[in-house]
Amino acid sequence: MDFQRYNQAEQAQIAQMIEHKQMKDFLRLYSNLVQRCFNDCVTDFTTKSVTGKEEACVNKCADKFLKHSERVGARFGELSQQMMPPGSQ
Amino acid sequence: MSMFGGGGFQAQQSVNPQNIAMAEQELDMVTDLFNRIVDSCYTKCISTEYQQNDLSQGESVCIDRCVAKFFDVNAKVGEKMQQMGGAQAPQ
Repeated sequence: MDFQRYNQAEQAQIAQMIEHKQMKDFLRLYSNLVQRCFNDCVTDFTTKSVTGKEEACVNKCADKFLKHSERVGARFGELSQQMMPPGSQ
Repeated sequence: MSMFGGGGFQAQQSVNPQNIAMAEQELDMVTDLFNRIVDSCYTKCISTEYQQNDLSQGESVCIDRCVAKFFDVNAKVGEKMQQMGGAQAPQ
């Protein structure tokens, strides 16, 4: 995304907005990850605390999801660059 | 008694709220697209067996193709919508 076409004052306000949204996005990622890994890993309710097996699963689940979104981010960046090369606006 | 006067350079620039709204909409659109791709491709590519911490070779290849295909579908549907809009307008 290129916000160069806006003036300095506007860019400052946009930067602030981005920071605010990043915080929101982080919280969204967190709750999303908890829900995903809970649903996929915790199925046994014969014990009250998370079992070793469940914990190992949660670890792998969280790692995998973060690596997944990292890879999607890389491809996403490449493809949007291709669709809209810098300086095309 | 500053030589440079009171007003800074930035004070002279005015913020157009319309521009801010436009930037926000663009940002939201891209973020939403990204999040939807992450969700879709996770469901389609990642095995919930969770055998290892790393992405497997197969999962990695699947993600690459999935993202490219999502972009393709996005563009194709966009074209279609544009055609629909164009067909409706001249009446």
